[in-house]
Amino acid sequence: MSLLVTAILFALLGAIVFSLIGLISGTDETAIMVPLTLLVILLGAPPAAVFSFFMAAVLAKHLTHAVPTALMGIPGDTTAVPLIDHANTLRRMGMPHIALRKMISGGIIGAFIALPTAVLLGQFLGQFAEFFKSSTGIIFTLAAILIAFFSKGKWVSVLMIIPFAFFIKSLDLVSFSILDKHLSISFFLGIAIGPIFCDLLFATSSSAKKTIERDKPKEYHLAPETKTWKGYFPNPLKILTGRQQIFTSITTFISSLTFVFSPVGMTSLMGEIVGSRTKGAYKKSTTSLAVMNGVTESTYIAEVIIPLIAFGIPLSPVALGPGSPLFNAPPVFTVDPINNLHTYLTSWEFFLYGAIGLIVASLIAYPFSMNYARKASVLVMKLVSQEAIVAMFIGLACLLAFHEAQLVGIVLTFTVAAVGGLLNRILGIGAGVQFMIFYASTWIMMTLFGI
Amino acid sequence: MANNHKSSATDLNENKKTKTYLEILGDTILPNQLLFAVLLSIGISLGGYNIGLWLLPSIASESMVASYSLLIGILGSVISLVLCSILFKPKRILVEEETSSESMRQVFEDLQLDPLEELELIENDPITKKELEDFGVLNSFLALREEQKK
Repeated sequence: MSLLVTAILFALLGAIVFSLIGLISGTDETAIMVPLTLLVILLGAPPAAVFSFFMAAVLAKHLTHAVPTALMGIPGDTTAVPLIDHANTLRRMGMPHIALRKMISGGIIGAFIALPTAVLLGQFLGQFAEFFKSSTGIIFTLAAILIAFFSKGKWVSVLMIIPFAFFIKSLDLVSFSILDKHLSISFFLGIAIGPIFCDLLFATSSSAKKTIERDKPKEYHLAPETKTWKGYFPNPLKILTGRQQIFTSITTFISSLTFVFSPVGMTSLMGEIVGSRTKGAYKKSTTSLAVMNGVTESTYIAEVIIPLIAFGIPLSPVALGPGSPLFNAPPVFTVDPINNLHTYLTSWEFFLYGAIGLIVASLIAYPFSMNYARKASVLVMKLVSQEAIVAMFIGLACLLAFHEAQLVGIVLTFTVAAVGGLLNRILGIGAGVQFMIFYASTWIMMTLFGI
Repeated sequence: MANNHKSSATDLNENKKTKTYLEILGDTILPNQLLFAVLLSIGISLGGYNIGLWLLPSIASESMVASYSLLIGILGSVISLVLCSILFKPKRILVEEETSSESMRQVFEDLQLDPLEELELIENDPITKKELEDFGVLNSFLALREEQKK
């Protein structure tokens, strides 16, 4: 019983913190989810509570990041990018609040369809787990090649697999010779905060600085809210028309099964399929938004749950990025040997604690973004400065790296962040590819050089 | 477009020199302030952590020292978030638009769509029409016809 209460409390924590984070536009998923999830794990939260926290955090963040997307026309984060066109159409017509409501209602439906679907599929795929577990090294390497090929940089990502693995292994050897233990969190954090750190490096370089110099502060246009709304907890099903409910349900069900593709890709694909079958600008935009946000949510949830239940190794873009601490957060969770949520929770528990996370997040973030979206985003934008946000995440990264390996950890994190961040920003070798190479590096170096 | 410009950036006067701002993660900052903010944040969070490591062994059980210290460190970074937000005001300009719709016709022109066709679709689709009515925006669509007549 007490575990249930702990799980609910952690879900509450995740829902509240990430509801606020979601309002800050342009935040990088991986850079924010990874350090905060790591913290919860390292603080010693029970595995079930970690899972509830993560599920609540994901849903809450996605529900509130619809706010900047709809009201300001700025993607809440990378997963919201495909929705921008439709959101802009409605915003320009003067109905951003309708866009917002369609989006978050779709998201809620997507989340609750994805959870049971993903648990069942994960359990089914679990039969093949032995095969996957016995050959993780080669699977990681093949997956790295595949993910690299589908990354933004494409061929350069494939080309950089061996050099980056070499780089990781070298740092590993140096830090091992100093500390006599292998580091992992410091590598992880480095890859995750790479993009932020890359911008900071640009700021300190007199030649690269020009690309990020601006002569005036950034301008945000916030659309007005038309209050056409009664009650506190609106029924998400009533916000959508029957047709939209059906389309959202079908597409989110399908996208719960396709856990190896990127959420952004699935979102664009499903949105396109449904949008092209819908006539009229208003109907097309609202239907697409509901479907797309639903698909983002369901892909996201399925990509975490399926590999967790079936394999215990991160074999999807989300599991490699934002969800990676659930698989690997030494000394608590490790991938090799597999000792993480996969080992601690049964399928039924995944369902139960996942549902707790989703329900708590819905109860908090859904009415919050339905009722107070505009006021809250004005408050956040006026009070919280970007300096404070960037500084906090750099501070958190230092803290976690120091916790793992004192000064060595900090230096290692920022070395990886510098190299990884530049590869990410300039060459388009995404964080997911880098995480995968990190996992594969041991096997690659062993095969090539026998170390 | 009837935009009502309300600036929330406090230090626009500092902006006489051009190119003073830097864009980090999609938002503008002042470099010196960011430097101080980062130093402050690292200082408080690492400071809190180390004080915990030094102080806690005498009060808490040995196995929990690291976790509690981490918690103090996190608390430190949250404090730094608040502190930095007070010290360094946001450099964004928030334009709150009073009337949102640009001319509806303009939107349709940009999208290369025929407003009359849209109107016809709405008229023939009772569900969508009812929804627009419930949301109180049906009139802005009906106004399309008026504009078209002109």
